[in-house]
Amino acid sequence: MLQVTKAEDVIDHGLSLGADFAELFVERSLTNAISTLSSQVQSVESGIDFGIGVRLVFGSKVLYGYTNKTEAEELKRIMGELAAMDLRDPRVSLQAFDYSAPVEHHPAHRILSADADVDSKVAYLMAADAAARASSNLISQTRGACRQKEQRIEIFNSEGLHTTDARNYVRATLTAIASDGQDQATGMWSDGGLLGWEIKEQVDPKKTGDEAARQALVNLGAKACPSGRMPVVIGNGFGGVIFHEACGHLLETTSVAKKASVFHDKMGEMIANEAVSAVDDGTMANEWGSINIDDEGMQTQNTQLIKDGRLTSFLVDRLGAEQTGFERTGSGRRESYKYAPASRMRNTFIEAGDAEFDDMISSIDRGIYAAQMGGGSVQPGTGEFNFAVTEGYYIENGKIQYPVKAATLISTGPAVLKEISMVGKDFSLACGMCGSVSGAVPTSVGQATLKVDEILVGGQA
Amino acid sequence: MSIVSQAEQILDRVRAAGAEGDLIIDQGEALSLKAKDGALEEHKVTSSQVFGLRVIKDNRVGTAYSEAADGESLVALVDQALLNASYAAVEAHEKILANALKLETQDAQLSPIDQATVAEKIELALTIEARLAAKPMVKNVPYNGVQDSVGERRVYSTTGLEARSKARMMHCYAYALIESGDKNAMEGIGQAARRFVELDPDRLVDQAYQNTFDILQGAAIPSGKYDVIFDEEILPSLFNVFSMMFSGKSAKDGVNPMRDKLGEEIAGSKLTVRDLPLDTDGFGYALFDDEGTPAQALCLIKEGALSSLIHNSMTASYFNSVSTGHGTRGPRSTLGVGLHQLEIDAGTADDAALHAGAYLVVTDLTGLHSGANPISGEFSFGASGYLCRDGVRVQPVRGITVAGNFYELLKRIALIGSEQHWNWARSAKMPSIRFADLSVSG
Repeated sequence: MLQVTKAEDVIDHGLSLGADFAELFVERSLTNAISTLSSQVQSVESGIDFGIGVRLVFGSKVLYGYTNKTEAEELKRIMGELAAMDLRDPRVSLQAFDYSAPVEHHPAHRILSADADVDSKVAYLMAADAAARASSNLISQTRGACRQKEQRIEIFNSEGLHTTDARNYVRATLTAIASDGQDQATGMWSDGGLLGWEIKEQVDPKKTGDEAARQALVNLGAKACPSGRMPVVIGNGFGGVIFHEACGHLLETTSVAKKASVFHDKMGEMIANEAVSAVDDGTMANEWGSINIDDEGMQTQNTQLIKDGRLTSFLVDRLGAEQTGFERTGSGRRESYKYAPASRMRNTFIEAGDAEFDDMISSIDRGIYAAQMGGGSVQPGTGEFNFAVTEGYYIENGKIQYPVKAATLISTGPAVLKEISMVGKDFSLACGMCGSVSGAVPTSVGQATLKVDEILVGGQA
Repeated sequence: MSIVSQAEQILDRVRAAGAEGDLIIDQGEALSLKAKDGALEEHKVTSSQVFGLRVIKDNRVGTAYSEAADGESLVALVDQALLNASYAAVEAHEKILANALKLETQDAQLSPIDQATVAEKIELALTIEARLAAKPMVKNVPYNGVQDSVGERRVYSTTGLEARSKARMMHCYAYALIESGDKNAMEGIGQAARRFVELDPDRLVDQAYQNTFDILQGAAIPSGKYDVIFDEEILPSLFNVFSMMFSGKSAKDGVNPMRDKLGEEIAGSKLTVRDLPLDTDGFGYALFDDEGTPAQALCLIKEGALSSLIHNSMTASYFNSVSTGHGTRGPRSTLGVGLHQLEIDAGTADDAALHAGAYLVVTDLTGLHSGANPISGEFSFGASGYLCRDGVRVQPVRGITVAGNFYELLKRIALIGSEQHWNWARSAKMPSIRFADLSVSG
């Protein structure tokens, strides 16, 4: 996408300003988004994202800029503005570029640059819509969305790195709204992956519609949620968002290096119940959070974060490695050329255990079963987090009693890790978008159903 | 080729295809600085440009955008938007406005030339971090920064619209992480201004420190029903989360619970809510909306009764009404509606009445989007703040949740304070409101 001689000229210029390290991140992405409403196509949108990110490193200082223009003079102008306060004699010389293409671990076939497959996607969304509406006449509205992206990147750096990669993402979602004339409630289901529209051979629009409608109907009949400290059983798949938010962000060197993570000095220590082992794996074939190489050009890895309760690794990007001394883990990620890379999660999950679901429920006198979790947020410095329960049930005397609505779980990462006492066998992954300092990146969360012995539940009852 | 010439070429191609269209061109430049341990941690210089096109042909709407500005990409922009339109359902209500207005904001007022140098801005970033880090018990200042951004939006249409707005915003922010024994806390604050000299680092540092120090020893309080006052930062956020209640677009889509309640009492009679886009003191100032309709003041709730929804030309046509100047469309998005800057009328309660007896002041809410359902009004948020009695803080409060239904909460307004406050981002101006009987879990 960028001429090698031009990249060489610009990076050489960055080094001539006295930088220790210079990098160009070139991106051209195609996007296509289809949305449906009321069983009709509401919109089809498409776009071209194009830009070049410029990173200069002077000691521990990172300078970053970007532009939509490709002229060498514009790239040098940005470098000049960035380095204006740090100019010094050259420290290092440009290493000759040694091009290498990554091994393709995530093949995609029906990609956006070949065909947007609009008719096929519309048919999928309409089938999901029809399934949801067929579930009950209480389903009053549906929204469908199918988004596909083809991201092509090219990275050059002053250490001689020159590499390229292509990532193909697709995700289809249906939201159902149930209404009884007085109250409204929602349910949602989505599927996605790091592949092309061939995903339609793997997913079932009827299941998508049925599941979105089922959740909406459960929530429509839900009672107010009890509140207070109590045990909670958290469902598999997207339930893993609790580990992602409560612990995963605290293991990124982005916060570890600043000592803004409660785990920054806990390497090798027991930070979780011994029932907990957790992984961040960027290598899983065609998974939503996978990559071939990270956004700094390093081949990605499978990283064991916690083993039997003991902290075994952080998630480390190039800058984090320099600041903390830990080895890079291929975790340098960014949403686009508009962001400097930072250590970020990929497919992050608690490994399956051997507990039975019925044993978890029957062990609880009064608590909540959070079958589906929504989003949440965490404050890395203190580890305080919150999560929304989007499908929940009240447990009493060892039995699931009735659905509850509008509940939030709050605790801190260190506390909840030690409260996870049982982990089940029904492991699964779910996809989401994770927002942080380097933008929103695709990540998978996952776990088997697990039991937290005590957590604060915020409800209305 | 100039931006104007590129716009003309794009719209000529739209006309040649027998379609109508409007084009948004956003351009921006920004400087972002962050400090860590006495040195700059981030120094970011950016320039950006994006073209966003909407076309309407045979009553079908298509959109496309491009960040690439070469001739080939801009031709593809038009062709892609036309292709996308061919798939869309017929939408008889969405039109390109027959609007040939020439509109332009005043650069001297909204985007003043600033003489501050990059070196001065770097010095400010370093000063903020150093002064806050030097305060007692501050472990570090993990989030801080100084930003200077100028954004320019142009809107052109095949019917002759030429609208341009440009605005500058300088802001700084800082969050302190304080540790004492086994307690820790992180809080902060920001400031926004049009000119560098209007930023006040001493006040920022003092406020960020005080916010964090005061909450450090916070603890949960017993579960129960409490009277609650959301502070001037949190109250606008809460209204923002549930702003869909004013949306004509959501009403058209059948998901706005206020759709059929125009004229009905939906809130306590003390509440009057307005959108005031022409208030130049705020950063939500707008001369025109993204369709080019001149912006205007609008009363949304008048003494507790829903008096208007917000409309663009499409939703107005659907409801046989007129646009209220609240059309939103970014280069990458389709036509929607949005508020400019929300204001709530001051009430009559003085401080003594507002702060009588026991009540909870909420200074922070977490999970604002994940914990709220704008369709049903249900919410459950993590919260922190202060338990107060007769205007005096009794104890700092952390580790609690507040839960309820926002639309029911609007009917439980006990008192409205007599003084309005801007939030720090200057996007909303509201008085203190005391809500009765909110569920708190501790």
